[in-house]
Amino acid sequence: MTVQEFYDEVGGDYNEIMSRLRTEDRIRKFAGMFTRDESYLSLVRCINEGDADEAFRAAHTMKGMCQNMAFTRLYKSSHEITEVLRGKDLETAKQMLEVVTEDYNIVIAGIEKLLAQ
Amino acid sequence: MEAMEKNTILIADDAEINREMLKFIFDEQYSIIEARDGEEAISCIMENSDKICLTFLDLLMPKKSGLDVLRFMNEADYIDFIPVIMITGEATDETDEKAYEYGASDIIYKPFAPNVVMRRAKNIMELFEHRIYLEQKLEKRTRQLRESREKLERSNEFLINALSSVVEFRSLESGEHIQRIKYFTRLLLKHIMEMYPGYGITEEQAALIVNASALHDIGKIAIPDSILLKPGRLSEDEFAEMKKHTMYGCELLEKFKQDDNEFYHYCYDICRYHHERHDGNGYPDNLKGDEIPIWAQVVAIVDVYDALVSKRVYKDPFAAEEAARMIIDGECGEFSPEVLDCFVNAKQELFTMTEDEFSFADVMVR
Repeated sequence: MTVQEFYDEVGGDYNEIMSRLRTEDRIRKFAGMFTRDESYLSLVRCINEGDADEAFRAAHTMKGMCQNMAFTRLYKSSHEITEVLRGKDLETAKQMLEVVTEDYNIVIAGIEKLLAQ
Repeated sequence: MEAMEKNTILIADDAEINREMLKFIFDEQYSIIEARDGEEAISCIMENSDKICLTFLDLLMPKKSGLDVLRFMNEADYIDFIPVIMITGEATDETDEKAYEYGASDIIYKPFAPNVVMRRAKNIMELFEHRIYLEQKLEKRTRQLRESREKLERSNEFLINALSSVVEFRSLESGEHIQRIKYFTRLLLKHIMEMYPGYGITEEQAALIVNASALHDIGKIAIPDSILLKPGRLSEDEFAEMKKHTMYGCELLEKFKQDDNEFYHYCYDICRYHHERHDGNGYPDNLKGDEIPIWAQVVAIVDVYDALVSKRVYKDPFAAEEAARMIIDGECGEFSPEVLDCFVNAKQELFTMTEDEFSFADVMVR
């Protein structure tokens, strides 16, 4: 799988990330870091525990990383949940978490394939 | 630029990816230190403040936010020499305004283009380096100026003291009268400035007045020995001649008139009016009340006090308390209520000075 194919599959912007990181090697390295980041896990945990403030922070961090990585689709859903959590609306956030999880899993699965070669 | 070894960039962000995103832009040219939250950022800054040339702060971090770190840098004055670029996901007017208010140099929004970040960072670092360099240069110049001014002031004081003691030397006094007049004038002016700020006397003016007070009797240089050194009371004619020392002093000063120089005017007024009295019974111009400049009024009362507590060929010294009483009771002519007020307030300090500060070589008080 090429980096270009990976970005198409996860709903990201290949041109944007190339303009920022310049080399595919570097993109791979950063993708690896993305899988190690625990913001998503923290988001899920905090929503379940009802900690709106920490959930907001986790969502915000996730959103920021997606922006940097040009994971456009996951950026959109994490951006939306961030805004809902900014208003401390845990109920709506819970419903939105499904979409976020779906987008997140696609990205993680894609990265695993990308790095498997 | 001197001693520029600051070559470390601090990157504070809780997400590794975001830190790396900045790190790869700068790590070829700079050393990088990373902080994962606000508290780490603060300790990094405290430990490496002499090395850090730029700090990137993520807005939202655990423990302490980017704004908290910025506020800390502001309160601890780090912000004056470490530029800060805030990194944030979205622009909100409120946080942007706060960030700038606490001294952030710039705000960069995610996602950012590496070459733009690099350019902006370099501009900011250059600006800071340059500003710090200019400040150091300015500080050095200011120090030099201050030093040369102090030197000049010391030389001035030396010349004034030398000049004013010429008269004393001639009248075979020890020269300490001048020093006492200056001390007493300084003391009374302090009280005037505290109690009557309406006169508008500044510290700087007070210093000039104190120096000018040393010259109050400079005109005595023109009084003949037969009068100046007479071992006994003066006759009426002799006293009339003695009184002219106020005018002689002015004549002398007018030869070197400096109309635009405040100091000249203090010297002139003090020479001429230090024997005037509030009720118009003084000399040489019989000025009344406010017509007599306040600096001349101060030297007048101080001169009387010193004359009372000093030994003269024709009189023994009065004790300090007795001298003060005579002045307050108007036995030495009338002084303005304000000046008397200050004199009463300054009395105790005046007594202490009279007893301790000077060796009254020519005087035995008590």
